[in-house]
Amino acid sequence: MSTPSTEMGGDISKGLIGGKRIAIIFFSVFAVMMAWRIYQQLFAWDMGMDSFEPEFQTYWMNLLYGQWILEFTLAAVIWGYLLKTRDKDVFNITPQEELKRTFTLLAWLFCYVWIVYWAASFFAEQDASWHQVTVRDTDFTPSHIVLFYGTMPAYILAGVGAFLYARTRLPQFAENISIPFVIAVVGPFMILPNVGLNEWGHTFWFMEELFTAPLHWGFVTLGWTALALGGLLIQIILRIITLTKLDDEVHVTEKMSD
Amino acid sequence: MSAVHSVSAITTAEQQHRIYKAFDWIIIPIVVLVVIGAFHIHAMLTIGDWDFWIDWKDRRWWVTVTPISLIFFPAALHYLLWENFRLPFGATLACGGLLIGEWANRIANFVGWAYFPLNMVVPGEIIPMALCLDAVLIISRSLTITGVLGGMLWGIIFYPANWALIAPFHVPVEYNGVMMSVADLIGYNYVRTGTPEYIRIIEEGTLRTFGEDVTPVSAFFAGFISVLAYFLWLYIGKWFSKTTWMKRI
Repeated sequence: MSTPSTEMGGDISKGLIGGKRIAIIFFSVFAVMMAWRIYQQLFAWDMGMDSFEPEFQTYWMNLLYGQWILEFTLAAVIWGYLLKTRDKDVFNITPQEELKRTFTLLAWLFCYVWIVYWAASFFAEQDASWHQVTVRDTDFTPSHIVLFYGTMPAYILAGVGAFLYARTRLPQFAENISIPFVIAVVGPFMILPNVGLNEWGHTFWFMEELFTAPLHWGFVTLGWTALALGGLLIQIILRIITLTKLDDEVHVTEKMSD
Repeated sequence: MSAVHSVSAITTAEQQHRIYKAFDWIIIPIVVLVVIGAFHIHAMLTIGDWDFWIDWKDRRWWVTVTPISLIFFPAALHYLLWENFRLPFGATLACGGLLIGEWANRIANFVGWAYFPLNMVVPGEIIPMALCLDAVLIISRSLTITGVLGGMLWGIIFYPANWALIAPFHVPVEYNGVMMSVADLIGYNYVRTGTPEYIRIIEEGTLRTFGEDVTPVSAFFAGFISVLAYFLWLYIGKWFSKTTWMKRI
């Protein structure tokens, strides 16, 4: 990482964001999302209309199986790495180190919400456009394979990764469990199991698409939980205030009901 | 006793200023992205079909359900941003973010992948409502007044804000001896898998006997429910803003 440390003689207040790592996260996620979207453009209409055709198996089911293998592998590697390399002396790190790690946590959260955008906004509403023009004969459609089994596991990877990072490397998060953090990660995570309800309902009640149908409201309710990032944001801000307090500084809190 | 220390990492005001600026630079994109994602999935699955299609932008249900559903996130963000940071732009942030998400998707996917014409899938205009809601908050500095006055205003001005957008599509045309709107005609030519011929069906209800009063009645009703929804979502926003720590879950 590009963040200087005081041990190296640098000023801790410089380079905290880590522009290079933010750029890597931004462009890496963007490249993966574009690759999915271009794949859909190339093969959805020609190879993705009839799940009983051999081409569908080749182009779409193999993509699905590939995604699953990659996602489970990445989860094992990333989450395993974070746990294996945990700081066993986390309560004795310097304030400078904690500040640095707090900004690394923010980089994790940036990665998380950047993928959440693609999943919950771009590819979620895209699903409406596909199912309004095609009649499905499988749960694994070209839009579902990318949305439910591609982008959603991707943000779960990042969200759980962010939580594990904080839990293993930041004293405040190691000492106690942040409830808004849990809600902001577990709530959107539960959207994936809710796919079970979605597919069950689509095969049982209503095969095609009416986006505002009550069948979809599980996604809505679980999507609300992302608002808990607000509580987490306040927790992080309060800690940064402590870590950046000056000797002669007096904190004044405005009475908010004025 | 807590094992977490409370020692500062810095010594000068210059360092403090630099860290606060750095925090701003990273937290703004985080907040914007999560608002787009969360608000968009809420909107698309509660009022999406009305928002997707020009032939669903009717004078009764679209006018009623859209403001009611869309005030949820602005209210929650008003609590989070105003109560904690004295930032008065929660509604504009939410609605601006939602429109970014909607436009990106309509162009790239509804037009670019499913090949609907763009003027069939243009999202509803919601920025004027957001500006008014935030303006009431700035002027009144009161979430209560914002809820009562701003919430009513929010519901009432939704349809006027969209007049210019939908007017050309509600012009009547005769097609094969049947009179319909331009929006209906577009809808018949782009048949969708699960969507009924919406405006024609919705226009058969009893409210139609009120003639030209349909839209004002619907808008006023939307304003009334928006007021109630605003207060409910203030509390939900308050709940999500809690900074609870627990030893075990």
